[in-house]
Amino acid sequence: MLTGGFHLTDQDLLLAADGELPTRRAAQVGAHLAACWDCRARMTEIEGTIADFARVHRQTLDPQLPPITGPRALLRAQLAELEAEPNSAPWWYFFRIPSAALAAACICVAFFIAAAGGKLLFRHFIPRGGISAVVPFERGTIPNRNLTPGATRAVTIGDVCSMAHEEVVRAVPTPLRQEIFQEYGIVNARADDYEIDYLIAPGLGGTEDIHNLWPESYTSPTWNAHVKDALEEHLHQMVCAGKVDLSTAQHDIAADWIAAYKKYFHTDRPLALSSDLLQFAGAS
Amino acid sequence: MGILPTDAINALPYPAAAANLSVTPSEIECQVMNLFDQFRSPLLRYVLSFGMSVHDAEEVTQEVFLSLFRHLQLRKSRRNLRGWIFCVAHNLALKHRYASRRSRDMTASDWTIVERQFDPSPSPEEQVLLVQRQRRLLAVLHALPEEDQCCLRLRAEGLRYREIAAVLGISLGAVSISLAGSLARLARADGR
Repeated sequence: MLTGGFHLTDQDLLLAADGELPTRRAAQVGAHLAACWDCRARMTEIEGTIADFARVHRQTLDPQLPPITGPRALLRAQLAELEAEPNSAPWWYFFRIPSAALAAACICVAFFIAAAGGKLLFRHFIPRGGISAVVPFERGTIPNRNLTPGATRAVTIGDVCSMAHEEVVRAVPTPLRQEIFQEYGIVNARADDYEIDYLIAPGLGGTEDIHNLWPESYTSPTWNAHVKDALEEHLHQMVCAGKVDLSTAQHDIAADWIAAYKKYFHTDRPLALSSDLLQFAGAS
Repeated sequence: MGILPTDAINALPYPAAAANLSVTPSEIECQVMNLFDQFRSPLLRYVLSFGMSVHDAEEVTQEVFLSLFRHLQLRKSRRNLRGWIFCVAHNLALKHRYASRRSRDMTASDWTIVERQFDPSPSPEEQVLLVQRQRRLLAVLHALPEEDQCCLRLRAEGLRYREIAAVLGISLGAVSISLAGSLARLARADGR
């Protein structure tokens, strides 16, 4: 890897400096560097350029860095919260396979079992109307917390209670809807299957932010978008009536909206949408 | 090349031991906090270079260390945690940028910052020359393809070439070619 003038290339110099050359090649490069003033000078030049760039990089960005104290305290608090959650090793941990050869053998066996089993199943179960490429499963009942932790804006109770109805139930723009479907890996979604819903509703100070929006199923048999709409409306009324703090309502609905429903409707199952809800409203 | 803290990885409080089953959650928390103290600034600088706001960059950084906690809690590999941390930050920064669709004009912003960076000690002439030099280097940096910029910034944060390759998902050879080309451009811009 010497150039036409019998000098080392810049790539060689960089890799040699980082100790990434194979032993034999590193020895050759070392011997060449010991004898060649040009290459030593070039190496010094490259090192100088990297050092200069690192300096400029830091000088440019360091003034923007806030003090570490606040973020450090925040991280510690979040870690303490995570630590308090029940943790266990993942299920697959107990089935760890010690060697690659054994792993390959297991995969082969699993493949043959799956193939044989699949053939049997296929023979006995062909859905009407052809074979779907996507295996249906119930999803959209609760949001993925990593993708949709919830997002709020700074509002007062006066702000949320004086919102126009259009603001409370405003629709999500189509490009954002598509982005959310994509994020959740939902392809070919039918409009009447999902509602792109606010985790924290606008009527509770939630924002039109991708972190506050998720595809919620209309069709889940128990906990679906219609049920959550009822919770949002109920919480909005409770907040405006001073029965619940706005921040508590935001926290509860973002943390687990189903638990919040059970808590605020005093029930373990969704109330039937018409009669039960009216009855509940009358009672409370 | 002893000019950068590239050997910091060896000083990590984690040996390259594959799994340490006896580590308790509070020990993991302590380890994560140590790594936060060590890498928060380099990581924040790297994430900021994607053009996001300081607030968003802080959020990404927090997410990285929470992910690290889960990673360690699940007893996953402790090998090269610095590379792992930067890799997660890189992916989160790209995801954030995609989600927020905000493309800040870094060039203008960086130059504004550069002009604010007057060190009071040099003379006014030296200050002007310093700012001009920084501007030249930043102009070259911003003219580079994004992958080359990332290589340079990661190198400036002290990552070894092998780690840069892992973070960006490219080969070691591609990193050395990228850096050699970028450094040659920087040197030319600097009149070397």
